[in-house]
Amino acid sequence: MTVVLLTGVTTPLGTALAKALVEDFEIQQVIGVGIEPRPPAELAADSFVYECWDLSKERNIRGMLFGSCRERGVTHVVHSALHRSPLDEGGHIHRLNVESTRHFLRLCERHPTIRRFVFRSDVEVYRHDHLHPTLLREDQPLELSAATRQRVRDRVEADLTVCTRMGMSSLSICVLRLAEVLAPESGSQLYDWLLSRIAIRPLGYNPIVNLLSLDDAVAALIAGIKGEAQGVFNIPGFDSLPLKRLAELAGVRPVALPGPILSPLYRWRERVRKTEFTYQMNDGRFHTSDLLDGTRAKNELGYKPQHRIDFSSVKPRRTP
Amino acid sequence: MLWFFEIDGSRSQIEFATVVCARSPRGLEPFATRAQPQEAREPTGIHSVGEMRFKDPMLSTHKDVFTEMFFRDAGHGYDEFGFHPKTARWGIKALAPLYNTYFRVKGHETDRIPKEGPAVLAANHAGMLPVDAIMLSLDVFANTAPARWPRASMDHFVPLMPFVGTFFSRCGAVAGSRGNFGRLLDAGELVTAFPEGVPGIQKPIWKRYQLQEWRVGHCELAIRHSAPVVPVGIIGSEEQWPQVGRIDSIKPFGAPYLPIPITPVPLPVRIHIHYGEPIPLHEDYAPEESDDPSVLATAAARVKDAVQGLIAKGLEEREGLFR
Repeated sequence: MTVVLLTGVTTPLGTALAKALVEDFEIQQVIGVGIEPRPPAELAADSFVYECWDLSKERNIRGMLFGSCRERGVTHVVHSALHRSPLDEGGHIHRLNVESTRHFLRLCERHPTIRRFVFRSDVEVYRHDHLHPTLLREDQPLELSAATRQRVRDRVEADLTVCTRMGMSSLSICVLRLAEVLAPESGSQLYDWLLSRIAIRPLGYNPIVNLLSLDDAVAALIAGIKGEAQGVFNIPGFDSLPLKRLAELAGVRPVALPGPILSPLYRWRERVRKTEFTYQMNDGRFHTSDLLDGTRAKNELGYKPQHRIDFSSVKPRRTP
Repeated sequence: MLWFFEIDGSRSQIEFATVVCARSPRGLEPFATRAQPQEAREPTGIHSVGEMRFKDPMLSTHKDVFTEMFFRDAGHGYDEFGFHPKTARWGIKALAPLYNTYFRVKGHETDRIPKEGPAVLAANHAGMLPVDAIMLSLDVFANTAPARWPRASMDHFVPLMPFVGTFFSRCGAVAGSRGNFGRLLDAGELVTAFPEGVPGIQKPIWKRYQLQEWRVGHCELAIRHSAPVVPVGIIGSEEQWPQVGRIDSIKPFGAPYLPIPITPVPLPVRIHIHYGEPIPLHEDYAPEESDDPSVLATAAARVKDAVQGLIAKGLEEREGLFR
């Protein structure tokens, strides 16, 4: 019997994953957790249960895991509740991103029925460096520089928090580092970059970016749930294309400007328009190509990207 | 051109004229000779671009010439390293006059280029611009059937150079890291390595054809990924744009130094490319031995000796700087 507990179910990825799990005959029940009072409307099924919890508090996690989750016999946990906006910073965000992950994992280890813990990490944890191979393997250096934004720092810390328990825990632990999911409300920096009518990139550079479709992200997470393999797995997407081509496909006019003026320009845009795209977080990948090497996920989880992103359906809500 | 004739005399004038006539149509002729008979070509969407013939990837995505050369489309007409056949095709067309007419490149023992499977081309390196790498790529392309397009390695500073880094990666070059090379060799590609690295291009003119410190990375990769090493001696490239000095404190766009050349443009030196017998290092050593420093030193010395031998042979056979 497989009962899955899924955090972050109100995000587009969480909702898509919950829908796929509900339709999967091998999964008996799906418990979705979110901070919103009501579940997404499309998740109305007998085998789906929604629970509203604030996961930044340890007591809530404890209450949930050893209360309703024990009663329902949860066997698998997919933890993907990380704060999405890079604009929000502070202790509360850190508690949600890092401390709750630590508590979650520790409590899952003591749980009588949970066997497997799948953590959704992402490509942002890797350090961008032109000295690295273009295809990043799981053992590439992580972004630990002091100047990094809290969003990235928290993701790296949460990722490492889970990784350090591998081999020491009674759980079977799997960390999936997903390529960027180009979708709204998913924390995608590139999606936010495409919100303007013009997409400004550094003059003379047109690196290749790899994007993951929601369908492939769901497939990877399901492979993580059903698989036995432990460890860290890169999850690349099907679409690898130059930055300029991405803007063209999304119907945005790409404009190249000299690199040194981009940082102040985007800082101004971030402050004035309250956009979530921050050039500081994307400077590296706007200059050099960094793609995830998915060989390990293919060999051990059987994951292979198969779904193209339908760029015509990616219609960002343009700011004027 | 006039300057060229003044230096090399009338005999060269005649030969140069002959060369132009003979090589210009031949030049990258394998484009045409590789292709199918005219009747069979049309349905596959081949069209002529100047003197060269290509199969248009837009019209026939699975039968274009780059597919034959292990082009693996990562979804949007680019491979995962940014190689874009249409840009490469444009680049080949633009650079063909340099190959055919300006440098009048001549490949020797081209039958030694492996026709299939992974291989490492290890060559001597010099010059302010990577003329040697470009001419070697074009020569391999011109002299292999089906065509092979070697993936050249870029020094670490090159990908960070605006426009240049992007253009090179669109033409198939990759940043010279183990991970990139390993991936390409595993995919059965032909890769080009210049084991001298930056010290090679830093050489002043009076140190031409003196191999600098010969790095071992290409041997490590060849052994680990079961690929033969083809030594290559490039004659002419070390004199094509002589430099007399460099300013180390100026690093334009991340380049290691600012070179000071003698001439404002490269000289039309004739480039001879000599291919050596492939060295099957992977047959002599097991993959796990690629971590052994003494094995790598021995293997690299073997490759270096072979390249040095080809250089000596090429210099001996050469009848003049421009011939």
